[in-house]
Formats: sequence, C-alpha cells, structure tokens
Amino acid sequence: MSNTLRPYLNAVRATLTAALTLENFSSQVVERHNKPEIEAATSPEVLLHPLIVSRNESERVLIEPSVNSLRLSIAIKQADEIEKILCHKFTRFMMMRAEGFVILRRKPLPGYDISFLITNFHSESMLKHKLVDFIIQFMEDVDKEISEMKLSLNARARIVAESYLATFA
Amino acid sequence: MILLESHSIIIQDVLTDRFEKPSRMDIQFVDFDHVRFHLSTGESKTQVTLSMGIHCWPDLLKYGAREHLQNEYAGMLLDPSQTEPEYDVSIVIDLEKIPSSQEERTALIHKLSLFKATAMSAPFLAAFEEESALEANYKDPAGASQIDVEQSVDAGELKIVRYREEEAMYIQARHDRVTVIFSTVFKEETDRVYGRVFLQEFVDARRLQSLQSAPQVNYSNREPPLEIRHLPGLKNGEDCGYVTFVLSKRHFANPTQAQSTILRIQLFRDYLHYHIKCSKAYMHSRMRYRVAEFLKVLNRAKPEVAVVERRTATGRTFRTR
Amino acid sequence: MSEYAFRKIDIDAPRGPAGALSDAKAKSGEVRGLVSKGDIAGALNLILTDPPYGDGVDEAKNLTSSAVLLILNSTRTAEIPNHLKNLDPEQQDHLMAYLYKAMGTEGHGGDVSGSVLLTWHEKLTEVAGVGCIVRVMTDRRTL
Repeated sequence: MSNTLRPYLNAVRATLTAALTLENFSSQVVERHNKPEIEAATSPEVLLHPLIVSRNESERVLIEPSVNSLRLSIAIKQADEIEKILCHKFTRFMMMRAEGFVILRRKPLPGYDISFLITNFHSESMLKHKLVDFIIQFMEDVDKEISEMKLSLNARARIVAESYLATFA
Repeated sequence: MILLESHSIIIQDVLTDRFEKPSRMDIQFVDFDHVRFHLSTGESKTQVTLSMGIHCWPDLLKYGAREHLQNEYAGMLLDPSQTEPEYDVSIVIDLEKIPSSQEERTALIHKLSLFKATAMSAPFLAAFEEESALEANYKDPAGASQIDVEQSVDAGELKIVRYREEEAMYIQARHDRVTVIFSTVFKEETDRVYGRVFLQEFVDARRLQSLQSAPQVNYSNREPPLEIRHLPGLKNGEDCGYVTFVLSKRHFANPTQAQSTILRIQLFRDYLHYHIKCSKAYMHSRMRYRVAEFLKVLNRAKPEVAVVERRTATGRTFRTR
Repeated sequence: MSEYAFRKIDIDAPRGPAGALSDAKAKSGEVRGLVSKGDIAGALNLILTDPPYGDGVDEAKNLTSSAVLLILNSTRTAEIPNHLKNLDPEQQDHLMAYLYKAMGTEGHGGDVSGSVLLTWHEKLTEVAGVGCIVRVMTDRRTL
C-alpha cells in the first residue's frame, strides 16, 4: 500500500467508526413510519454535521451521519478517459446488484461515484467493525481493480496490434 | 484466436461435406459487414448455387469486381441476368465436374470459401496496378516549377468502397505507395475509448524493430485525413475514427504477397471491433468476479447464527415445512 | 421588563462580528510571529483557544482557519504527537474540526496538501480517540 493511501484509509476508518453510532428512531413527521433520516431530511435536528475526508481533489469520501442512518459517498480517482469509463462501468455494475449489497445505495450522490446507505437495522444485524472493514476493503480494491483493468486493456491492445502488423512482414 | 480468418468457415465445411456426398440443401448465413450468403441446390442435387449479397456491390462493380471474379471462378460465375434475386452475384458448382484428387478439391473449396474476400479485393488490385503505372510514368521532379504539375498527375483515382452503412474504405494509389483509409464508427462511448487505446497501439507497435516492415499506420478521430477531406458528406463527430494504412511497394511486390496483404487489410475493421468487443466481455467477467468477492466480504459482517434444535416440553421437535 | 433583558444577550457572540474579526486578526498576526520563531506549541495553544464561531463572522473564521493551516504546514511530522499531547481536550476538538473543514474545502482554492491533513488526522485520532470525531460531528456550532 502506498504511503499516502494508508492515512487516507485510516482517516475514513476512524470517521466511519465514529459515525456508526445509530439507533432506532421513528419518524417525527409521519406516525408509525421509520425512515432513514439522512435521506428523508425532514427533521434537521436529527442530522449531524457532514464530514469530508479527502486525499486530493479527485479522491474524497463524504460521510453524512444522522440519528438512525448514515450516508457514505466515495469519489474514486479517475486520471484519464479510460479510467473514467472503467470506473463508471464498475460502479454501475455494482449498483445494479444493490439488492445483494444491502447497504449499497442505488444511485450515487451528485459529484460522487458510489454511495452507501447504512441504517440502524444494518448496524444491528451486522457486525459494526466488519461493516467498516468492508467499506475500507472496497475503497482499497476498487482502485487496484481499475488500474489492473486499464493495464490489461493496454496489454491486449498491444498484442492485438503487434500480431496484426506482424502478418504483413 | 487472435487473428481472424479470411475465408468463410461455413462454406468450407458445407462444401467439404457435399463434395463427398451430394444432398439437398438450403442454407442462408451472413459474414462480416452484413454480407449475406445463400447456399442452395436447384432441381438436381449436384447443382450447388452460392449467392452473395454485399452492401458495397455497386462500388465493387465500378472497380472491376465482376471481371476479377470471372477470372477466379472461370466457368462457374453466372451472368447478371441469371443471378439469384435479392443477391448481387451467384456462382454455380457442378458436383459432377469437380476434380477427383483430394488436393485439388481442397484447393477448390478454399478458393470458393474466399468468395467474399475475392470480390472485395478487386479495388485493391486495381489500385496496385495503378500504382505500377504511376511509377512507370513518374519522373523525379527536377525543379520546383514541376512539382505542381507532378502532384496533379501523381495521385490515382480515389476508390471508395462503402462496406457498411456509415463506414467506408478509401483506396488511393500514389507513385510509390497505396494509401488505404478506413472510416469507422464507434457506436458507444466505451467503444470509442477502447478504440482509441487500440489504435494508439497500432501506431506505436510499428516502432518495434521486428515490425519495421509493416505498413505505416496513422489514425485520427474527428478530423478526416487530408487525402479524403475534400469529399462531401464525411462525418467528423466524436464517434468517428479514421485509420490510414500506407502500403509500400514491398507489400504487393509479387501476387502472393499482394493476395495476403489484401486478405489481411480487408478484415482490419472487423478485427478491431472484434477485439474491442472481446475486451468488453473480458472486463465484464472480471467485474462480475470482483463484485462477487465484495459480496463475500460484506457477508462476513453478518454474524453467524447458530441453529439450535428446539423441542417442546414433551420432547417433540418442530418440523419446518 | 429590564430584569429579563439579560436573556436576550447572545452569549455566543459577546462582542459581535466586529469584535470577533478584530480578535481573529490579532490572533492570526500573533500566530505568524510565533510560527516564524518556531514556537509551534504556543501558536497551536493560542489559536485553538476560544476560536470564533456562530453566524456572521465568516471572515474571522476564514482568518483563523488559514492561521491553523499555516501552523499545520510548518510543523515537522515527528513533532506532531508531542504537540497534540499538550493540548487540552477542548483544543483537540477544535483542531479536529479545523482538519475536517480544511479537507472539505480542499480543491476549491485550498492551498494545503491532503497528506499533511491526513497525517495530522491520524495522529490526533491516536491521541484523542474516536470521541473527538463524534464531538465534531455533533457540534452545532461551525468553526
């Protein structure tokens, strides 16, 4: 792991651990409803101060805590056009399978590439530190995966071009 | 399979089979670039008709495709009046008159399976001939005043083959080279980006010592190259790409070499798009794997609930239905 | 009526925006002096005590933030833990809030590199714990 990545992930981990203090909280607006307050945003008094952890301009994480839910949005590094396409494809691929990833939000927040929505029900049924581990591992692997995909695309293009041109010799 | 084959595997397989044992058939199939084929038997089992419908037939006709086919498939090519309806060109194979030796049969089948490639090679051959003619007439420009005169004579006719709806091939002969330009359309954003990566590698690959003799490749997107810029109706949007191959003298020095060069270059567009699609498929399977891995990590967060068998006071168990 | 007048006083802003601004100006000037002398501990101590907060004092907040960043940028990495240990919990909370604020504004004209902030964040979490982050999150007053 590179030197700047480690403090970045540590900061996300600490912030996320701090923010994952959720409790069951019924809606104050609609009776007998229980909504993730961060999404409903109907009672400003239960929303907490949103925090941003950033590594550089293109890589940052926005954590928006509330009393019973937490929204975490990740902006993934995209250095060039290829990475942008690959990142877009990858996140889209994942979000189409949001059903399986219970904590994944089906749409990212504007300005970010992927968002997670963790409610108190998730943090009650799952182990909190493992949830944090998942987010951290996701952030770690997604960068790796995108750069590997890019490399493999380039390698393939090279082989394809060389074997085609070699037939003319 | 990295390289694509020029011949049609269906024609090859079917004819190999029918040469052994004639039987009735009616097979329709397609090849690259929306080329349609129809293999059928007429009244008799031994009369096999092979028809081809090709998008750019009017263009090919202009550059002598019919004459070229006439040479290649002497005695088999049908007159335009006899050509099967809805198709552009037909040949008929009489199974009673085929050679008896195995080698000759294989050679004939191979030739027939190259039907499409042969039709498409007419404009290339015309361009190669034109090049030789231009070279013979070419005089080294002695003074600056002559250059203007030379340039107008120098270039051969620009041959346009519209092999697909929105894509075309431009072939032009010069006194020392033949330039082949492909215009290709990338339908999707992803294709466009991948295409750019691939084409860049084509340009870069030639720097390798071992590939010095390969044709020079250039590409540009948006802007059409100078040779064809004067043509009306050229697309120059984000999704278009223009690839230029410069074939030098040694690529068509003798007929065998010319033949293999033609077969190779015809398939360039298909080759490029084939590999773009392959890359996309590969990326997709990779993402599928990675997402499954993530799911495993997430599921690790769910605590395992030990299943305890529950009994009633009398010792009966619950049955799950 | 007059005996209830004290209830109307906004105790968060005893001196009003103008007073907060002049305070901030004085402090950031002093910090600059301390930093140039190499007294990081003194500078941190000064700037993190009673920082401006509340509405209408944006200019004072910005001045203070940039003063904090100046300190952060001119501290050697090895000395960070020592400085942090000498702060009292309230000062640590303020520092954490400034760190998050700086990370949030990065890329919109911020002149600090992310790695400096992340290093400070890491060290501060080690010293002050996760509770410090929770206090930043729950603090209604913005710095």
